[in-house]
Amino acid sequence: MRIRTGELLLITGFSGIMITLVLALKWAPSVSIDAFSAPIAQRIFYWHVPSAIAAYIAFGILFVGSALWIFKRSALGWRLHVAGAEASLACGLMAVWSGCIWGAAEWGTPWDWTDVRLNTFGLLTLLALFLVLGRQSQPDGIESRDTFSTFGFYGFVLVPISYIATRIWQIRHPGPVVGGGADGSLSSKMGDVLLIGVISFTILIIGHIIMSARITEYEQRLERLQNKLDGEI
Amino acid sequence: MEELTYLTVAYLGMIFGLAIWTWTVVNRSQNLDSRIKALEESLGLKEFDKDIITSKFSHEEE
Repeated sequence: MRIRTGELLLITGFSGIMITLVLALKWAPSVSIDAFSAPIAQRIFYWHVPSAIAAYIAFGILFVGSALWIFKRSALGWRLHVAGAEASLACGLMAVWSGCIWGAAEWGTPWDWTDVRLNTFGLLTLLALFLVLGRQSQPDGIESRDTFSTFGFYGFVLVPISYIATRIWQIRHPGPVVGGGADGSLSSKMGDVLLIGVISFTILIIGHIIMSARITEYEQRLERLQNKLDGEI
Repeated sequence: MEELTYLTVAYLGMIFGLAIWTWTVVNRSQNLDSRIKALEESLGLKEFDKDIITSKFSHEEE
């Protein structure tokens, strides 16, 4: 079997996130019991933060793909839109799932409807769900691509709002752990595990995007071939 | 619930989600690849428009 870039990145990313998991459970130091009421559950953080960062990267690709389709009618743009939406949904769901479970352990509630970070990120994940399900249920055409790309393009406005939410309106979600000043500083070992996680998730998401874009290209080629075959019959 | 239970449920859920997603993507890619190769061979084709929608669009512009 021929292994291509997409598959290679998936294998590398997967290996990296499994190493992150082992390091998170066995090597990373425990947090202070004074700072967290659930210090063991805090170890969810080593996959929660990288999956959220990977989701932001995927939303960025969705935005670029949508813009390329809207303004240039680019086939590559549409493939990036489809791949970005699928990757955003997968990573968004991982971040929401792990965040809800951590919230249940730490806060006693899985969700806070008043927290801007939680709600903007939840809306972004719902947008990705709408784009993935909508594309599967609608026939492919210029009008449907325009509609979904418009949502992908303008929906991106939630990304910077979600990103800065914990800096401006910190309600329940913890503040930034990186680039958030003295309050956001991590111990060296925790920072190393988090970095390995972020790199691994980024590699995995790039692998997935390459694979999804290839699948969209295959689907389009197959449709064209089937039309030609039907024409010949 | 014990804290360890929360940790286990969170990681198992994410591992399960990632595994299903990756398996679906790889499987779909291999399945489509083999179907395209079979069709192209049976039709005796090598080059083909990749995107039916954009090719329609460019024909309309022409």
